[in-house]
Amino acid sequence: MNMEMLLMGAVLSMLGLAVTCMAFGAATRGADREPVKEKPATKPSIPAPRFFVDPSRQVPIEALLLQIENHVRLEQAAAESFLQAPDSARLHSRTTSALVN
Amino acid sequence: MINADLLQSLDPSEAERVLALGRRMVLTSGAELFHLGDAADCIYLVDRGRIRLTLPMQVRSREEDVLVEERSSGQTVGWSALIPPYRFTLTARAPLETEVIALPREALDEYFAAHPATGYAVSLNLSSVIGQRLQLFQAMWLREVQRMVELRCA
Repeated sequence: MNMEMLLMGAVLSMLGLAVTCMAFGAATRGADREPVKEKPATKPSIPAPRFFVDPSRQVPIEALLLQIENHVRLEQAAAESFLQAPDSARLHSRTTSALVN
Repeated sequence: MINADLLQSLDPSEAERVLALGRRMVLTSGAELFHLGDAADCIYLVDRGRIRLTLPMQVRSREEDVLVEERSSGQTVGWSALIPPYRFTLTARAPLETEVIALPREALDEYFAAHPATGYAVSLNLSSVIGQRLQLFQAMWLREVQRMVELRCA
């Protein structure tokens, strides 16, 4: 009887060890088969180069015409200021025109 | 209206006689007074309102009338009528209801032939109007050339 119980305990121990080994193996195999994929490093978004894009193209034509008109008025005012007191500084004074700034 | 730039230094009665040679015209908002290239038979004095003087310009492959100058009450427009070859070199349009006095060249020529002192005074005034325009656009032109040079040499 004692012998039977000893054998039973040994069998159960072997069985438990086998189950533990199988579980361990399964766990480690799963890790090998599915390696963690590294996500590509996210690059900071850089606007596409626009070397050949004329910025004035972005402005609606009505707005562009208003800019031209405003430019003419400002230039005329600057020229009138020069004529009032002619000197080089006034002749080349800067205006706030969007077309030249 | 006797204070118009073209009539400066004339005594009021003489200025009235010159004005009597003309006819009043009321332009509704947006109406064209004359067009680039038209025969120029009349010179105009702006009595009230405004006149926009424009030139055609290519903007994105479209021809647009671009403001060159604006004239208001007391100022003269259309002096091409007194300068050969008597063709308008700008287009004139009223941006709001505007009243002008149209003085025909023929009537002025006849009157000035009979009244040379008045003709001389008006000619001096006209020279002044033209001279101011020339100086103004000379300065504007040079400013644009300066910018072009800066851009090319940048």
